Amino acid sequence: MKRSGALMLLASAWVAVSVASTVPAAPAEPIAVVVGAHAPPIEQLAARECAQILGKLFGVPAAVSARVPTHTKRVVLVGSPATNGFVKQSAGAAWPKLTDQGHVVRSSKLAGKDVLVVGGGSPQATLWSVYELGYQFGVRYLLYGDAYPMERPAFRLTGFNVKLEPTLRLRSWRTLNDFAIGTESWGLADQKKLLRQLAKLKYNRVLMSVYPWQPYVDFEYGGVKKQTGVLWYGHRYPLDGDTPGRTALKDLSEFGNPDFARAATYADRVRAGVGLAKGILDEAHRLGMTAALTFSPLEFPKEFAAVLPGSRPSPAPEPLAIGPGAGQSLNDPKLLGLAAAQLNAYANTYPGIDAIYLSLPEFPDWVEQGPAAWKLLDQGGKLGGDAGYQAVLRAARTRSTVASGERGVRSVNGNLAVLAFVHKLRDNSVLALPGMGRKEVGLVGVDAALLSQLDAVTPAGWSALHFVDYTAPRVAAQEAVLQSVPASKVRSSLILTLADDNMGVLPQMTRAALQKLVARLSENSWEGFSTRYWMPGDLSPAAHFLSRNSFGAALTPQKALEELATPMCGAGVALALEKGFAQIEEATLLMDQNDLGFSFPVPGMLMKHYRNQPVPEWWARVRDLFGGASGEMYRANTRSRGGERDFTLYYAKRLDFALFYMNAVEAVRLAGIAKAKGDRTAQKEQLEKAEEALYTASNTLAEVARDQSDRGVLAILDAYAFRPLRKELASLAGGAR
Amino acid sequence: MVTMRPTTTRLLSSLWALPLLLATSVPAVAEDWPQFRGVNGSAVSPSKGLPSRFSSKEGVKWKAPLGEGVSCPIVVGGRVFSTGMSGAQRFAVYAHDANTGKLLWKREYPLTGALPRITPPNSHAASTPASDGKRLYLYFSTIGLAAVDCATGRDLWRLPLPKPAYLMDWGAAVSPIVYKGLVYFCQDDDLNPYLMAVDGVTGKVKWRVSRPDMLAGYSLPVLCEAGGRTDLVVAGTGKLKGYDPATGKELWTCNTLLRTIMTSPVVKDGVIYIAVQSYGDAKRTLKFALMEWLDTNQDKKLARTEMPKEFLEKFDLSDKNKDGFILDNELDTAFQHPDNMVGGGNMVQAIKGGGSGDVTRTHVLWNVTTRAPSNLSSPILVSGRVHVVKAGGLSSCLGAADGKMLWEMTRMGNLGDYFASPVAADGKIYICGKNGFVVVLEDSPEMKVVARNDMGGELIASPAIANGRLYIRTRDTLYCIGAGPGLASAGGR
Repeated sequence: MKRSGALMLLASAWVAVSVASTVPAAPAEPIAVVVGAHAPPIEQLAARECAQILGKLFGVPAAVSARVPTHTKRVVLVGSPATNGFVKQSAGAAWPKLTDQGHVVRSSKLAGKDVLVVGGGSPQATLWSVYELGYQFGVRYLLYGDAYPMERPAFRLTGFNVKLEPTLRLRSWRTLNDFAIGTESWGLADQKKLLRQLAKLKYNRVLMSVYPWQPYVDFEYGGVKKQTGVLWYGHRYPLDGDTPGRTALKDLSEFGNPDFARAATYADRVRAGVGLAKGILDEAHRLGMTAALTFSPLEFPKEFAAVLPGSRPSPAPEPLAIGPGAGQSLNDPKLLGLAAAQLNAYANTYPGIDAIYLSLPEFPDWVEQGPAAWKLLDQGGKLGGDAGYQAVLRAARTRSTVASGERGVRSVNGNLAVLAFVHKLRDNSVLALPGMGRKEVGLVGVDAALLSQLDAVTPAGWSALHFVDYTAPRVAAQEAVLQSVPASKVRSSLILTLADDNMGVLPQMTRAALQKLVARLSENSWEGFSTRYWMPGDLSPAAHFLSRNSFGAALTPQKALEELATPMCGAGVALALEKGFAQIEEATLLMDQNDLGFSFPVPGMLMKHYRNQPVPEWWARVRDLFGGASGEMYRANTRSRGGERDFTLYYAKRLDFALFYMNAVEAVRLAGIAKAKGDRTAQKEQLEKAEEALYTASNTLAEVARDQSDRGVLAILDAYAFRPLRKELASLAGGAR
Repeated sequence: MVTMRPTTTRLLSSLWALPLLLATSVPAVAEDWPQFRGVNGSAVSPSKGLPSRFSSKEGVKWKAPLGEGVSCPIVVGGRVFSTGMSGAQRFAVYAHDANTGKLLWKREYPLTGALPRITPPNSHAASTPASDGKRLYLYFSTIGLAAVDCATGRDLWRLPLPKPAYLMDWGAAVSPIVYKGLVYFCQDDDLNPYLMAVDGVTGKVKWRVSRPDMLAGYSLPVLCEAGGRTDLVVAGTGKLKGYDPATGKELWTCNTLLRTIMTSPVVKDGVIYIAVQSYGDAKRTLKFALMEWLDTNQDKKLARTEMPKEFLEKFDLSDKNKDGFILDNELDTAFQHPDNMVGGGNMVQAIKGGGSGDVTRTHVLWNVTTRAPSNLSSPILVSGRVHVVKAGGLSSCLGAADGKMLWEMTRMGNLGDYFASPVAADGKIYICGKNGFVVVLEDSPEMKVVARNDMGGELIASPAIANGRLYIRTRDTLYCIGAGPGLASAGGR
């Protein structure tokens, strides 16, 4: 049918049908996805995605067209009245009022015939509406790929009446960051794949977290050129045939980020790093997401010590960075110049970046300037003068978060110094340029004791990303802190820890806390959240839960899991998954409460347990919980016949990995006890047990390793656990093994 | 020998059999390795001059890429035959020149429909072919048995078989053997276990016997000459059985085995040696595994909805009150034969062949209860000693004459799992670890590790040995290893 003919036949009524009905159609009847001829690129992408999803879902040809074809009754209109004339004619006045993130999946009529309209209040929201259509038909979006429903649904045009508006407008996903177990190990190809899945899950920002020693920027100041540009704090991970889990590492002689494989020099690494970060930024934009950078404004590569007299090494796993020293004045021109040079370099290297977050240090070191900074910030007494300062210190000292006591006081003082400094930085850097006004600028990690006065300490117009504590349960326990944030005055979002690096390589779940936090954020008008995690392998359910609940679903984690798992794994699987996840959650809480740094992925991570102390009782409980959860996952896997079995098998193997890791840790402890007793035979026996358990742990994970983070776990366990263990065994044997 | 024109071959290849084809089998020569674990599944070769030290980069005479798989290579008449998946929906058979690695032919079978469920590290390409020198006999779960011409890869016949069904979704992995013109194939699954003989020339079923008292297992049939006759011996749930290879008639049974038998016996001088490990203790019948893995909601009863669809008919037979659940006594015998309610355990055993009837009390020469055996890696008998290896790289050795333990679960210095079975020749025992290392033990009364050789990739398949060379298959590469310098690069053409 020609377009003019089609237009004559159009009916203008928007029909929202509340009762689903199936339209019988010939099995091979194609699907036409109709998009506006001049629709924005993201809507064109949405149409292509729609055709791809529906074609695969129903096993029929699905093509994108700018016209309504006559050869099929299966017509899906993509866009909004502003971008697609057919949508306008179909919806007419019935098109709902939508924000730029609101989107619909609705049954409608066009020329008296049933059609489906998927669209939104912006091109990006239209893209989400396409993914929502797939979701409504049973497609599930996991962080590593799509899972189509086990049973092919019947195609239908009628019965859809979905309208979604976000309760949390900012849904940010962090990437790059640090550690080989994190996305610092991921090349652009993998990052893009992840971003595509995040877009399907309706995340709308990618937050690139970078550090001064990494190769994502180059600059010079005072005649000194940046020379440090390394990943993973400069650690290297050589591999050989004895590396446990080697089969997942192929023939690599060294673990690495594939994008840096040929980067031999600093210049090479910066080229690779900038290429990677720009690639992420571009892909995010292609998918309608915004991209943000976060870095510390007062940490610099160590070579800049030469131009910053009085500086000192920053507290970090390796001495790669410096920061202001005790005597460094808030008004130090060199400090300001250096900070501006670094900030400007980031801004100039990534001109397309949508937001810049300046992160306040996790371990504040520039604490001496706290009182002076308070005075600077307390202009007009808006912070309450000295009494206010003392009250803030008292709150920091007596709170129950990790940063309490003297660490709490240091945190506040360090925070204050940086806060006072960034006001100067704002006025003396690229941030002062007119063009920067379009970009969002924000702070990360304002101390909890200062949150109630956030609007007074934050530069006007800036936003804030809050880090209250390391784990979600710890944050969830800080209701008063969360409520103290003036989110209506300063755009605020919360760092949601999905899995903490301190607990390291073991599976973690904190569903109850996430549920509570998401509810509180919505209630208190927060803008949204940004995820914090290292290994995304376990996190598809969490990503799904946050996605659905950000659009007002108010699902419990259990219900969300059922919605996630049942279409792709079949009936009955969610129950076993739920039982397993509940056990992982209990284990996570035990680790959190008893030893937050239990498997922190740094040198000594295993042998730190090699000492003469009793085996803590909670270790056995955690091991049993991982074992119990593993059983549930295998049952889920057995039950998910013909479904997405990789999903359940991954958890089963991850939990077996955790079980063996716990066995290794316990054996190391027993070896330590035997050593103290002088029982060399028992010591050796236990160390051998640990060696075998750790070897098996890594091999088990290798069987399902699905991304660079999993492979990073294998690499760091080899370097930080297996080799030291073997070294100790060799020393006992009196020779090399 | 009848030579067929290509057109005729094509015409007949779609049929089950080639009744007019009267090809004569070419006997495998002494050094050939014509089936899973070599001649009669012994895993021992008379070959000499084999290297002790090698790797994926040293001593490689040639190497060739294969499709993903865990089946073993075989060597017959100067050709190495292997199988693998060619993508997700094609099964491939490869013939390489054993000497040069040149790809002589590759036969691909397009696969239609969903492949059966399997559990890693199993692969859809898990069955090892067998050959009589003229024909290559293959098995694939959705194809059945098939024969192709060794020289050309052309189809000769195909015999569709029902897809095996496994309660635990392990997946198919059994291999055919060939003896005196017949192809023997034992498919012990959880649904309809059977043993059959097929005419190697025509593909016609010679005989087929049901094995209703068996559960899923993967033991390879072996031939045992004893008492003036040759028996086809098959290990399975609870029982080692001897059959008349000509008729399939059950001649004897020795009821000393365990629940799940995945390892294969070896035969020497009329004695059958088997080493098995079946999870759990003697009381752990199948019911406990079902309750552990299939009872999804752990309510201590098995619901119809919890059953794989292949087993619903069997389920319904046990669900006497038709309430949609089976539990307690119903569960005991729902899938395990009431006359064969064996459980788990560990043992190495020697059974004298050539018996009649129930030989349980008469033919067991020795039985050792030991944790030494693996559930997956089969034993090998060399120089009067039975060797077994298991996860953790634990080697054990028993005297074949009396079962005396020479060493027990001694570390070889190579951790990890062991799926492949040891092979031996030239005074050396080659043991492949899943981690990609081949440990070489000296064939001696004391344990001595000669070398540990890195093949780089996962080793699930057992190697083949022929004419002074080792053929080692990782998941996706076939290596030919020989003494002396290797080639810088070879094969893969």
